[in-house]
Amino acid sequence: MIHVDISESVLDPLVALDHCAADSHGAADLFIGRVRNLNEGRPVTAVSYDLHPVLCRNVFEKICSEALEQWGEHIHVFLAHRQGRLDVGEASVIAAVSSPHRAHSFEACRYLVEQMKVRAPIWKQEHYVDGDSEWIKGHVLRNPA
Amino acid sequence: MTRQVPVRLFGAFRQGRSDSTLTVEVAPNANVAELRQAMHEALDTDNARSLLKASAFATDSEVLDDSDAVPEREISILPPVCGG
Repeated sequence: MIHVDISESVLDPLVALDHCAADSHGAADLFIGRVRNLNEGRPVTAVSYDLHPVLCRNVFEKICSEALEQWGEHIHVFLAHRQGRLDVGEASVIAAVSSPHRAHSFEACRYLVEQMKVRAPIWKQEHYVDGDSEWIKGHVLRNPA
Repeated sequence: MTRQVPVRLFGAFRQGRSDSTLTVEVAPNANVAELRQAMHEALDTDNARSLLKASAFATDSEVLDDSDAVPEREISILPPVCGG
């Protein structure tokens, strides 16, 4: 069972845990990515997330489908990401997986996060204490020309 | 005869721009490599042109290869990604 979301509202981990639950599931794994106050030595005050909503949702669904193919159709997976400007401490991404046993939940949850980082069309612009802002370098979606 | 192709801009491509679309002209049967060249000529900074080399073109459903024909659907230019 798959749930993906792109949201301008606060992400609620309880929604993820509600989705990732079943009587036959003895394990649920939850990952929360948050805005950090420091990056490469520069104090950060906020991060603005830009994303391609339709393609991002499609990529999320593809990644989640791959998790079901790899760890079983019976697992429940949840992947949601914020867009817009977030202050330090706010959750930017939530990934969750439930399964009968813990190994699959751990592995599948990590898969969701790692794949999202390199495949989802999401960009972040950090805002610094000194008033400067910078788009963060990321992962190339194609071979450079 | 040429074709006007509006390209949606994301991430660093929006830096210093008031609009989120850049329209370029290509041949009617152009492929993505030719669209990339047209974008290169239309972008107005060295940083944007450098970013273009590491960026992908995509529709709402898939990332395009340079050999693909430019589709009739909406096209976006995607700089290197960094979610989370």
